[in-house]
Amino acid sequence: MPSPRPPVPSPLYACIYRPPEPECRATLSGSPNLSGSPGGESERLALHAIAQEFSPRYERHRDDLVSIDVSGLARLVGPARAIGEELGREAAARGVRAHVAVAGTRMAALVLALARPGLTVIPRGEEAAALAMIPIGILEKIHDDDRARSSHPSTGSGRALMVSVSNHAVFAFKRWGLKTLGELAALPAADLVSRLGRPATMWQAIARGEDIRPLVPTLAEERFESSLELEWPIEDLEPLSFVLTRLLEPLATRLERRDRGAAVLHVLLGLVTHPSTRSGRGEAVEPRETCVRRLELPSPVRDVRTLRTLALLDLESHPPAAAVECVTIVIDPTPGRVLQHRLFTRAHPTPEQLSTLVARLGALMGSDRFGAPATVDSFRPGAFAMTPFATDHDKTGERKACELMVRQAHHERRGQQAHHERPLILSLSKDEPFAVKRGEPPVPSPQPRLVSALRRCRQPVPARVAVADGRPVRVTTDRRGFTGGTVVRSAGPWRTSGNWWSGGSDRSSGSGRLGESGGSGESGRRSGSTGESGGESSVSSTHQAHLTHATHLTSWDRDEWDVALGDGAVYRIFYERDTDRWFIDAIVD
Amino acid sequence: MALARAGLESLLRARQLDRTLTTALPEIDPRDESALAPSGITALDARLGGGFPRGQLSELVGLRSSGRTSLQLQMLAAATARGEIAAIVDALDMLDVASAASAGVDLERLLWIRGHVVSNPGMCRDLNQRALEQAIRALTLVLQAGNFGLVVFDAAEAPADAVRRLPFTTWLRLQRIIEGSPTACVLVGTEPMARSSAGLTLKLGSGNVECGARFQGRLFDGLDVQARVVRARAREKEEATAIFSTVASDCA
Repeated sequence: MPSPRPPVPSPLYACIYRPPEPECRATLSGSPNLSGSPGGESERLALHAIAQEFSPRYERHRDDLVSIDVSGLARLVGPARAIGEELGREAAARGVRAHVAVAGTRMAALVLALARPGLTVIPRGEEAAALAMIPIGILEKIHDDDRARSSHPSTGSGRALMVSVSNHAVFAFKRWGLKTLGELAALPAADLVSRLGRPATMWQAIARGEDIRPLVPTLAEERFESSLELEWPIEDLEPLSFVLTRLLEPLATRLERRDRGAAVLHVLLGLVTHPSTRSGRGEAVEPRETCVRRLELPSPVRDVRTLRTLALLDLESHPPAAAVECVTIVIDPTPGRVLQHRLFTRAHPTPEQLSTLVARLGALMGSDRFGAPATVDSFRPGAFAMTPFATDHDKTGERKACELMVRQAHHERRGQQAHHERPLILSLSKDEPFAVKRGEPPVPSPQPRLVSALRRCRQPVPARVAVADGRPVRVTTDRRGFTGGTVVRSAGPWRTSGNWWSGGSDRSSGSGRLGESGGSGESGRRSGSTGESGGESSVSSTHQAHLTHATHLTSWDRDEWDVALGDGAVYRIFYERDTDRWFIDAIVD
Repeated sequence: MALARAGLESLLRARQLDRTLTTALPEIDPRDESALAPSGITALDARLGGGFPRGQLSELVGLRSSGRTSLQLQMLAAATARGEIAAIVDALDMLDVASAASAGVDLERLLWIRGHVVSNPGMCRDLNQRALEQAIRALTLVLQAGNFGLVVFDAAEAPADAVRRLPFTTWLRLQRIIEGSPTACVLVGTEPMARSSAGLTLKLGSGNVECGARFQGRLFDGLDVQARVVRARAREKEEATAIFSTVASDCA
């Protein structure tokens, strides 16, 4: 006959609250231990230390409020009152005067600790009655502990939102004439929800001392560090990759267990720079020189291959000055990334993939040769800027996909309406892809107009242009690939100038190198045969991330023409008025 | 003869080179939206059966001012509007950012890789050949990263002999990388470059007229573009033509 299983102890929770300094002074005058700084590190951690003495399952709500799961301590310490007294003695021994409450539910213990000084012990099943006489204003003190955690975990915005919601609800309760938690608990739940929404059930559960979520134990801070002393120094990066993998694998496992990702990866390489300082047994007798690399990761990463690749690519760009004899990896953890994939949206490259790609492209092309293009507020022809390519597009991607689905549904609905109102017959033919028959007006197409694009010559191509009657009639160049020819049609001139007040004109290349340009205060004007436009402009600081050329200091003054040559090519050419020279600026394609 | 052909095909299949000769690319279901990347031009998408195939190398070829750049920017605009991440490997660094913005490209979702170009290499032609090879390596990295919606390799102004000097296996390797992936890869050039590795080849031109440029009075109005499907290995019918027009960016 199997032995009977030991009874499961009924849940029992204790809560310790350290009231603010003035209250302590008022109620506990003469306490020598409270004369120190209230925000001191030891005092801040005092409640945690007390909780750790009693149970590993404790939850830190704030620095001054801790809930402890004391279920099962009855066999060791005694009944609930004995546990509470023991907690109070431990707090007093550490110089902390605190409110202690013990109850069958965590929420009841928490409310009682906040509301009543000294020790409060509530028998099981009497939580609601114990809370009934507590003023309703106590709800303002517990707003951010449970609601914010459940809806917006550990975010400042979520917490601020909950504060405003809590204040609004408590204001509503007071306006209704409710003064105690007991009066709130007695209200019919359905009517309460119909007036305040679903959060009202949470307020009522608090007023009744019922738990709205289980206790979430606080885990001690863990340091993610791993080190390896090598028997023989390593000079190449390839063998170092094996060492990095060996160090990173256990760290990644620990990160996964704690649902953490690496925010910053520190690679510390001990270098062999002073061989004479090593003793005969191979022990270093002096501090060795260390190569320290710090990689800030754009999103939490715990994939070993990604971390190793990023570390190696960084070391390729910044190789250590000497052979490596000690490798240390330190990871600054951050909460893991929670990503919910959708059924109807396309998967994007993950931040890990993009981080690796960016690192590889940086090693191949150079960090200034890739990124996200950006327009600049300038009239300078061909002006642009480059910004670092973002590696986390999930949020904006979801928004765009939703917008697209809404737009498609809207167009489908409009199409159906049009179909019912006046039937259209669309036929495809070789020359007229969407011909509308029966003379009906076409449905407005959501499709944008296709814009003629330019292909910029970053260095304008010098050209020889024959002019007749003030218009170009023939364009030729010496550049391979630009044969030139007779001008069939032309449009222009469009005069554009700018930065003329600075006086810095680049005569050597016509209008200077076109490309990254822009600068604060730059402006220009463009005038033509039909009108004139101009305006002030400025470049925001974010657009100056990759400005590598000082062309924003040079002025330009040119007449632009769009010319179609006999071979079918269409160029944008310009006549530089300062130097009396012609250049090909772009190809219309 | 039949036996010789079967033997040759089995040898090619053993070396995973069978698709260089046969049309073994999977047929694309036009109703499967996930298999196609629409260009955003209704007339063209209708001719292409929905758009450019994903998981294949496609080609946009044509002479200068045939509308290649306008079409590629429109494709990038459509891809980024769908919320996809796009990349352009600009082998000769000729992208006009203002044109891309005018076309509606979401620039934040576009990875732009600019090739190292020497504008006048003189007698040393290898400099730009090296830039082209470097751009191919960058394209390989982008495709290997995976999950890009659209990747454009722009070598439209590269000399034809420089492109021809690239090893043939380059395109075969790239095709193998993106096969089965959700990426539509578009190669832009003056003439077909991927040869048998290409899934769809679209030739752009101005049709029968001598010049596709339109002028209204003293204003440049845009280009008239005729797009002709000259190769579509995953489709039964390869011949199809679409006509569309572009407008000058000042008029858009």
